[in-house]
Amino acid sequence: MATYIVRRLIQAIPIVIGISVISFLIVHLTPGSPIDKFRTPRVSPETINNLIRLYGLDESIPVQFGKWFSKFWTFPFDNTAWGYSFTDGLPVRDKIFARIPSTLWLTGVSLLVTVIVAIPIGVLQAVRQYSWSDKIITTFSTIGYAMPTFWLGLMLKQTFSVQLNLFPLFGQNSFGKTGDLLDLLWHLTLPVTTLAVIQVAGWSRYMRASMLEVLRQDYIRTARSKGLADSRVIFKHALRNAMIPIVTLLGLTVPALLSGAAITETVFSWPGLGFLGVQAVTERDYPVVLATVMIGGVMVILGNLLADVAYAVVDPRITY
Amino acid sequence: MARSEGLPVPGAPLARPATEIDEVDLVPVRTYWQLVRRRFLQHRMAAIALVLMVVLIVSSIAFPLIGGDAWFKTSLTHGPKDPSSLTAPLGYDNLGINIFFRLMRGLQTSLTIGFFAVLIIAGLGTTIGSIAGYVGGWVDNVLMRVVDIVLSLPTFFLVLMFVAFMGSGNVFVIIFAIGLTGWTTAARLVRAEFLRLRESDFVQAAKALGASDRRIVIRHMIPSALAPVVVASTLGIADSVVTEAALSFLGFGLRPPEASLGNMLTNAQDYFYRQPLWIWYPGITLILLVLAASFLGDGLRDALDPRQRIEA
Amino acid sequence: MVRQDDERTLLQIRDLHTHFATADGLVKAVDGVSFSIRNGATLGVVGESGCGKSVTALSVMRLIERPGRIVGGTITFGGKNLIDIPDDEMREIRGNQISMIFQEPMTSLNPVYTCGNQIAEAVSIHGGMSGGEARKRAIEMLSQVGIPDPARRAEEYPHQLSGGMRQRVMIAMALSTNPELLIADEPTTALDVTIQAQILELMKALRERNRMSIMLITHDLGVIAEMADDVVVMYAGKVVEQSDVNTVYEHPHHPYTRGLLASIPRLGEKRNRLEVIKGVVPNPLNLPAGCLFQRRCPSAMPICNVAPPFQEVAPGHLSRCWLTPAGDPPSVGEAPSEQVALDAAAALSAE
Repeated sequence: MATYIVRRLIQAIPIVIGISVISFLIVHLTPGSPIDKFRTPRVSPETINNLIRLYGLDESIPVQFGKWFSKFWTFPFDNTAWGYSFTDGLPVRDKIFARIPSTLWLTGVSLLVTVIVAIPIGVLQAVRQYSWSDKIITTFSTIGYAMPTFWLGLMLKQTFSVQLNLFPLFGQNSFGKTGDLLDLLWHLTLPVTTLAVIQVAGWSRYMRASMLEVLRQDYIRTARSKGLADSRVIFKHALRNAMIPIVTLLGLTVPALLSGAAITETVFSWPGLGFLGVQAVTERDYPVVLATVMIGGVMVILGNLLADVAYAVVDPRITY
Repeated sequence: MARSEGLPVPGAPLARPATEIDEVDLVPVRTYWQLVRRRFLQHRMAAIALVLMVVLIVSSIAFPLIGGDAWFKTSLTHGPKDPSSLTAPLGYDNLGINIFFRLMRGLQTSLTIGFFAVLIIAGLGTTIGSIAGYVGGWVDNVLMRVVDIVLSLPTFFLVLMFVAFMGSGNVFVIIFAIGLTGWTTAARLVRAEFLRLRESDFVQAAKALGASDRRIVIRHMIPSALAPVVVASTLGIADSVVTEAALSFLGFGLRPPEASLGNMLTNAQDYFYRQPLWIWYPGITLILLVLAASFLGDGLRDALDPRQRIEA
Repeated sequence: MVRQDDERTLLQIRDLHTHFATADGLVKAVDGVSFSIRNGATLGVVGESGCGKSVTALSVMRLIERPGRIVGGTITFGGKNLIDIPDDEMREIRGNQISMIFQEPMTSLNPVYTCGNQIAEAVSIHGGMSGGEARKRAIEMLSQVGIPDPARRAEEYPHQLSGGMRQRVMIAMALSTNPELLIADEPTTALDVTIQAQILELMKALRERNRMSIMLITHDLGVIAEMADDVVVMYAGKVVEQSDVNTVYEHPHHPYTRGLLASIPRLGEKRNRLEVIKGVVPNPLNLPAGCLFQRRCPSAMPICNVAPPFQEVAPGHLSRCWLTPAGDPPSVGEAPSEQVALDAAAALSAE
């Protein structure tokens, strides 16, 4: 297993380089220069030239890439490894690290809610396939799946925050209540609901399909032929098998949530990574944009690896 | 039951020779397309979705033609207080623009973006997937690593960057951004199908008969590999339309006076108190479009490619 | 007639009907099947695929799943009608007094639990044994079915075993509760020929040791000759011939049975080519009126358009065919066939 993980990490290196090249090129080959916004009559030409030299923009693209890429990985020791933000001059690493707890709160809680709600729903639907409850849940999850995230978020915000005044409009904490857990959860409710509704819709469909597939298997008939009660057949013999593909889904969802929460975070001004990334794109804060994309890419790679490792843990047929 | 033969008369000759295979007893043989149609129509929601999709497409073409410039023409004599009428079923907005015609124009834009983005997705996906699957070896290896790289990038973020830096509000940039980031799934599906087909009996037979590579690929393999692409494309339309809307919401989509479902939604936010319905019109249209596309995709998958069947 | 009310009868099926409401129409997979299994005897159920033999077995276990349903008949076991008893009572019998093994050893074991765990589960559910006792019993069973190093094998997962080994595990699981009846649905079909022989030998040995009855379902007449005491031949959901194994082999009456026997090679017999039964099994959605076999039957007669009765052609030997006990066509006007035919015709036209 350890050798497998090492091998996978080595295989990931060219992919990481590929991600870096693509994001670097998108940023650097776009029309216009990041310095453009400083070119106002109030800024002297010398200052502009200093800025160009400071950001290394006078060098060729490959040299710029090499310098940026090699410096990028020194981030554990150097808080300037990802450069300085164009907007406020703070080290990018510190800006990003400051956002990680918020993102973890949002994605962690929504994932938890998703798993707790979606798995029993999917199992129930599969066991009672074509029943009324199955049909009603399927209808709801299809609509939930079809709803664009930001539309759902907006609707929830407009209804529960603006009209009913039950939940806060934006942010993570009320003024002066930083660190108050209840206040945090109160702020989390609507963003988590937004993400969870859409995730539950997808996950329960997946769980239902997986469970139906397993219930058709010969070994389920064997289990019934042993005289086991239905509950034991479902929860011991079927569920364990049906969870195997779900584990993969988990590995794919975690990174997708981390960057995919961008829209939800923006709707609710939740101070997470996604919101930071969107703001950075809007303000053309290139160092922040690059770092965000890199983190997103590395998360996906680690998520895939995590999924494969978890797969081997839950499925005895797989050994690495 | 085949009881029409009547009762036996003692001593009468046999109705038919006993040894002949009775055609009536066999399950009727159906052609591939008969089976496809049958399976598709069995999927009731897919059939409804098809009708809905046709209605949406036809309205998105017909109403903008009927309305002419009504979708952007402002008017000082009309306003939000006007009751809905036959010519303006959804009333007028604060600039006196006919909301219904604007909605139809927005639908047209969104569908156009979806359609062309999916065209790029399907084209790139089929080309790259079939090259990887047919040539194999290092070519396959390199192409699949490229797929891995693109898949690892946070897709929406990439689209956002692309659009924001290359020209926000530009339809072509939006289409290209969605297309260039979305082709990987189609490529993987086509490649998998090609790998399967390459070893399959009918391609082996065509090779044995001396057919050229190009002929095998174009005449035999691409048509068979197309089923998953059609399914992925149908589902891709929904994704593309939603992506455009999300771009609009973040301020990088089409800008007024141009109309898209996304920018209508975004603009309606400002009128949530006074005109709460305005956010529903484009929202419901968008959801209907996504629902139609995804049910259509599900139905097509069941119909074209029963092996991939997912009970959903 | 087989002495159905004999006290030595372990299981008796009477007029069983199991139907499947498919999208294309109603399939009468089992349509009026009756037979019984004697204590300690092996009953072979023979027929082509789709003839209803597996559905009959699953009906006995009450494991028929939607869209299938047992719509009529009785299955008497231990003085109870298995069709009527409540679910939990049926669960007590299932896997305890009646066990079943299946055709596909490769897929019939749960891939995520060890073999020992799966055997111990059956034991602990029915025997009320503790975890440790059940585990010991599982290892004991594994050694009984001839698996070397059973303690280690018990810790292994099904995918680590070969097909033959997995079928042995299935047998160990089925027999771990000392059932009175073992239903074996094509237990050797999926295995190599040499492994087949080993598994059959094992089943024979265990039958003697455990004094149980076996309902052996197969399409392989060789297996029947090897194992069975009594034989039931099924065709299109109905029993067409029933007798003890020697009678069926020596004096088959129904043309279908004769066709089946003619289509297997025998030692010491010189034939240029094997016989085949012409035609195909009728579409279950569109069964012909009268005898279901008539369109493939070399002896078909006009009277075959009326369903033949299931009647005794010799003591203890029943056949569903109009041919006389000697195997000749019934002469016109001769009783009882003509009378039965007319009755049947009257019943049909009244419908």
